[in-house]
Amino acid sequence: MTATDWLVIVVVLLGIIVYGLYKSRTTKNLDGYFLSNRSMPWYLVLLSIMGTQASAITFLSGPGQAYADGMRFVQNYFGIPLAMVVICITFVPLFNRLRVYTAYEFLSRRFDNKTRLLTSFLFLLQRGVSTGVSIYAPSIILSALFGWDIFWTNMVMGGLLIIYTVSGGARAVAYTQTIQIVMIFIAMALAGYVLVSSLPPNVGLGRALHLGGTMGRMNVITSGRTAHGFDWNDRYNIWSGLIGGFFLSLSYFGTDQSQVGRYLTAQNNRESRLGLLMNGLVKIPMQFFILMIGVLVFVFYQFRGAPISFNDSLVTQVQATPYRDSLQGLQHRFDSVNTLKLGAVQRFTDGSDDKMKGELRRLNTQAEGYRSDFNKLVKAATGKDGNDTNYVFLSYVKHYLPVGLKGLLIAVIFLAAWGSIAAALNSLAASSVVDFHQPLRGNKVSDPYHLSRWYTLGWGLFSILVAQFSTRLGQSLIEAVNVLGSLFYGVILGIFLVAFYLKRAGGTATFTAAIIVEIGIVLLFFNEKIPLLRWLPDISFLWLNAIGSLGVVLLATFFQLFLPKPPIESVSQS
Amino acid sequence: MNDQKDKVPVFKSWTGWYILVLAVLAVLIGLFYLLTKTFA
Repeated sequence: MTATDWLVIVVVLLGIIVYGLYKSRTTKNLDGYFLSNRSMPWYLVLLSIMGTQASAITFLSGPGQAYADGMRFVQNYFGIPLAMVVICITFVPLFNRLRVYTAYEFLSRRFDNKTRLLTSFLFLLQRGVSTGVSIYAPSIILSALFGWDIFWTNMVMGGLLIIYTVSGGARAVAYTQTIQIVMIFIAMALAGYVLVSSLPPNVGLGRALHLGGTMGRMNVITSGRTAHGFDWNDRYNIWSGLIGGFFLSLSYFGTDQSQVGRYLTAQNNRESRLGLLMNGLVKIPMQFFILMIGVLVFVFYQFRGAPISFNDSLVTQVQATPYRDSLQGLQHRFDSVNTLKLGAVQRFTDGSDDKMKGELRRLNTQAEGYRSDFNKLVKAATGKDGNDTNYVFLSYVKHYLPVGLKGLLIAVIFLAAWGSIAAALNSLAASSVVDFHQPLRGNKVSDPYHLSRWYTLGWGLFSILVAQFSTRLGQSLIEAVNVLGSLFYGVILGIFLVAFYLKRAGGTATFTAAIIVEIGIVLLFFNEKIPLLRWLPDISFLWLNAIGSLGVVLLATFFQLFLPKPPIESVSQS
Repeated sequence: MNDQKDKVPVFKSWTGWYILVLAVLAVLIGLFYLLTKTFA
């Protein structure tokens, strides 16, 4: 890291804090603090929605995912446009008409307080922990690659944004997210340009894609079918993307307060709808572009020789163990395959030998086998996870991007983290105040504005604590939290689906169904660890969203058959 | 004033927007399928 890179990082981060404070002026009440007085135009809503969803890990693991597994991850986003349409038809008009502060507030009007508290509690639990891990996840990668102290990296990643988030609430969050997302696009586009221009002169974009495709990286559409039928444990295919992704997106954008809070800031239904629909239009191309950068990084390394692991610190750690000789042998075999592969790649890109495809695939499979052996070696030597997917892009940034741009890309990682964390803190505070504190105090809170600022600060400090605690628990926690959302999202969505579409179902039936299905989902997910449940099929976590929401709908309908009908007022009110 | 604010832009009703979003999804899937066929 040069002084210029450090200067870029400091200027960008300080600039965002100052801009956030400048945009902090808002009315000192809940409307101003949590909803920016419902004044936002659609394009700010759009950028805020995108900035909330796109965390630092999106930009770190996206290219790495394509590097390791190809483009098929983009199918994960196919459900978003479908969900945007349903949310615009059903959720948006109702939330705006009832002028709620949180999505869960609607549930107390439709059902009762216990259902609202349960749903809000599931949200706070899931979002509170995952926000802490979303500070830790990029911090651990940056500290491993650049040798930074993890404590201070966590503090900068999760601490500085608290200044403007506490001060300006939803308004400061939305305006800073706008600048952040624009800067992220510019930096990623520059990185893509540098990547293509650093390929050999005879390799244009088309030839690069042919090379990536030959080695399995252009698998954009996959069916999930195998010789034995459909693979339910296959994470990314067109069906899990359309169906599982639809339920996940419906739950995330329709019932997660960190997103609902963004489009509730819109001036009216029209601006909320436009923001969401535009998100449905641009999200897939954006993810496609991020993954394409990963394919280009993969092609780039075919000419430069990829390292056996992009996480340098793991290699150093294994070298300091008795497994050092095994690593040396593995490294030697990996380098030999890389040399052979480089020759084959050059003949392929010269166009002189199109029959090189088979040879390329064979050598690539062999190289991937050695990378996989390295992961096993890491596990045996250190007990750590050797998966380096999240390190691929940043390693490229560190070693190959020019001075200045390297600093900008690192600053962008911080900005992406800040955008999603700021929205999360704002939504956690909103739900704490509106769904818990006020109802439990009989709605007799004298100064909810200052109370909300304290809650925002409290959640910010809690998230940093979780991040610092995660440092002790290690990488496996990131994976655990990635699936945490899917354990709860399905049930939360199911409660809302009952509220919207089953007018005759009451609070008690829905509450009971939600509790039972939540227990069922957790048991289904951990079935391998429970001897009595090992007969249950292994299911990719994306399907849990669909199972959870449909389970609540069906069970609530069933329970309602034995319960008194809810009063007509509560049904018609909503 | 409120009517003006709630007026649907470009199309006559929101249904037009919904069809556009779903049509773009279909086109993208079609393009991705072609990309897969061409390069993979």
